[in-house]
Amino acid sequence: MTAISPLQSIHKKSLFGDHHKKNEDDLLHIKEIKNLYIIQIVFYKNSQIKLDNIKIQNLEIPLHNLQVSSNANTRILWNGPNTWLVVSKKEDIMQSIKETCDDENFAVTDISHSRAIIQIKGPQAKEVLKKGSPLNFNDFNKNTCAGSVFHGINIVIDCIDDQSNTLLSTDSFNLLTLRSFGESLYHHITDASLEFGYLGT
Amino acid sequence: MLEIKCPYCGKRSQNEFSYGGDATVKRPDLEKEVSDKEWDDFLYYRKNPRGEHSELWHHVAGCRQWFKVLRSTITHEIFKTVKMNEEL
Ligand SMILES: [Zn+2]
Repeated sequence: MTAISPLQSIHKKSLFGDHHKKNEDDLLHIKEIKNLYIIQIVFYKNSQIKLDNIKIQNLEIPLHNLQVSSNANTRILWNGPNTWLVVSKKEDIMQSIKETCDDENFAVTDISHSRAIIQIKGPQAKEVLKKGSPLNFNDFNKNTCAGSVFHGINIVIDCIDDQSNTLLSTDSFNLLTLRSFGESLYHHITDASLEFGYLGT
Repeated sequence: MLEIKCPYCGKRSQNEFSYGGDATVKRPDLEKEVSDKEWDDFLYYRKNPRGEHSELWHHVAGCRQWFKVLRSTITHEIFKTVKMNEEL
């Protein structure tokens, strides 16, 4: 899938903010994530089938808040009761979903083009998010997701990695927002990152 | 700032929610004859109590579910939150 990405004209690949004499690993890394398939799945209220047996590309559907099930290519995010977001690199993801989630019991919608995704990675990634979001990030580890706000913009925060075995944990987050809010969110995130120094990649 | 326990997501900050008004208000049945007073009462008149108040809230930036909250209008203390199909 190739599409005009929401941040194509504003994202800049360079060093910004307080980066002077700092090791690149200590800086924040910010990039736009493009060409992912984003599919929303909603389980109908009156459906009787059991969700335990449903698998998408061998991934179980998470049944509780904050949960994500993931493999190298696909992530299934709990987005609300009986509502999920599937974020995937796989071109055949829609097919895989339709194989297990039939029309009778599920509403499956391709919303790939309606979201902007910003990835922020680095030791201070949580500090940046804390500036605009009221979420409790203390137990927000790898494969945790939540819908929240960032300076009033509705976002989905998905923790894709944490390297807490190192002295300073390096967290990676994907931030999803509506496409039309992408530019505004990008400016809020990059502005909040200046004091730590960031590398646009 | 309030901390509200969404029945689906747990404790979250108030700015993820939006307030949906008095939870006890019932819309008159469809296709029923409604007097001006009944409609007026439904649309405008609220008890506005000093103390315990049943409210609707919407976790608009989170799971996007509506739920009920029992809250004190004096201290803002939240006593209980339940799903829409449950009793406060
Ligand atoms: Zn919620």
